[in-house]
Amino acid sequence: MDVMIHSSTFLLPGNDHSSSVTYALVVLNQRLPRFTPILWNHAQVRVCADGGANRLFDEMPLLFPRDDAIDVRHRYKPDIIKGDMDSIRTEVLDFYTNLGTKVVDESHDQDTTDLRKCVAYVRDLAPNLDKSNLCILVAGALGGRFDHEAGNINVLYCFSTIRIILLSDDCLIYLLPRTHHHEIHIQSSVEGPHCGLIPIGMTSVSTTTAGLQWDLTNTEMRFGDLVSTSNLVQGEKITVQSSSDLLWTISIKKR
Amino acid sequence: MPLLFPSDDALDVRQRYKPDIIKGDMDSVRTEVLDFYTNLGTKVADESHDQDTTDLHKCVAYIRDFTPNLDKSNLCILVAGALGGRFDHEAGNLNVLYRFSTMRLILLSNDCLIYLLPSTHHHEIYIQSAVEGPHCGLIPIGMPSASTTTTGLQWDLNNTKMGFGDLVSTSNLVQGEKVTVQSSSDLLWTISIKACNG
Repeated sequence: MDVMIHSSTFLLPGNDHSSSVTYALVVLNQRLPRFTPILWNHAQVRVCADGGANRLFDEMPLLFPRDDAIDVRHRYKPDIIKGDMDSIRTEVLDFYTNLGTKVVDESHDQDTTDLRKCVAYVRDLAPNLDKSNLCILVAGALGGRFDHEAGNINVLYCFSTIRIILLSDDCLIYLLPRTHHHEIHIQSSVEGPHCGLIPIGMTSVSTTTAGLQWDLTNTEMRFGDLVSTSNLVQGEKITVQSSSDLLWTISIKKR
Repeated sequence: MPLLFPSDDALDVRQRYKPDIIKGDMDSVRTEVLDFYTNLGTKVADESHDQDTTDLHKCVAYIRDFTPNLDKSNLCILVAGALGGRFDHEAGNLNVLYRFSTMRLILLSNDCLIYLLPSTHHHEIYIQSAVEGPHCGLIPIGMPSASTTTTGLQWDLNNTKMGFGDLVSTSNLVQGEKVTVQSSSDLLWTISIKACNG
């Protein structure tokens, strides 16, 4: 079984050109995490999902209180705004289109969520993007309406061969597919120690870990019984192998 | 609580809204808060020895097993602040719904509520449209559901299979006053709570 290596270097300031990972950023319609500028700098393509454009417009200036708001909005201009367009304010749409942001109206497609449309866009259509080692960062994926959150989590399961990271101010989540043995390298300056392994959607008959305070050894996990929450990372590397897809979640440190 | 009554005296509000019990592993409650409420007579049940269950789990077990003078024949536990924040906490709270599946437990946040629809029953959900809806969903969090049938939703399910990796009913809409649900697996029902209330 192949090893899949994970590392939250996208939370670290700076733009590491030597990294082989190509990052894309999708901004959804929840409060912008305070580290969104760091994610933005790592990303080679930046997509707003519908009302996410409102968030960018309203809240990015708040993260740079000493800078001129219009200036911030110019600096943090998305490449694409995509979705069913039922949340974005007209003034926001006009502002970004005048700056050259491409708008892709998908209001005809009511069957897929805004995040799903954006992930499909990045996977299929984003030009000039080296997708051999693609990682899609999603800001504002958690909190708010639970059905939205569940729909966003389902996108991880439906696109299980693409690295997609859901991010909020408090934590991040990504899928650990059962097809791989996983090594998670902990960036302890920005994440942890609180973590969990969540068997969303199906029972996991057997999970084995190393590097957690409460490691699992061939342990069964399912809703209604054991779910690994309020666990703690010990040290720098976690390994996980499971008979089912699991969600890995780890807390993000406040500054 | 004082912030929700900005024209009242803060101390006054705190005395009006005094909990009966504070329970859990006590690693978060501030000393001044603990002292304030114990002085008012709030009972404190320190469970710091039990690291295997979440704070919510401890509180639900407490209500189920220890509350005197409570008629538990038709009990419903409302949980405020169950969602948002760390996802592992949220997942742990959702798991409490599955572990205590014979009790009515409602998880609430500013934006929505969630409760379990056990597969053992046919469900009728009466929509209080002044305060909730229309956005809703049916979420097979624990395991796939081979068959779900609903009425009263914009996109009703008809013996439909649901599961993560496939179809999950989100961004659905309630139509009218009553929704019915029957499923071969336990489902989570979630509905939005309207802003601008009270």
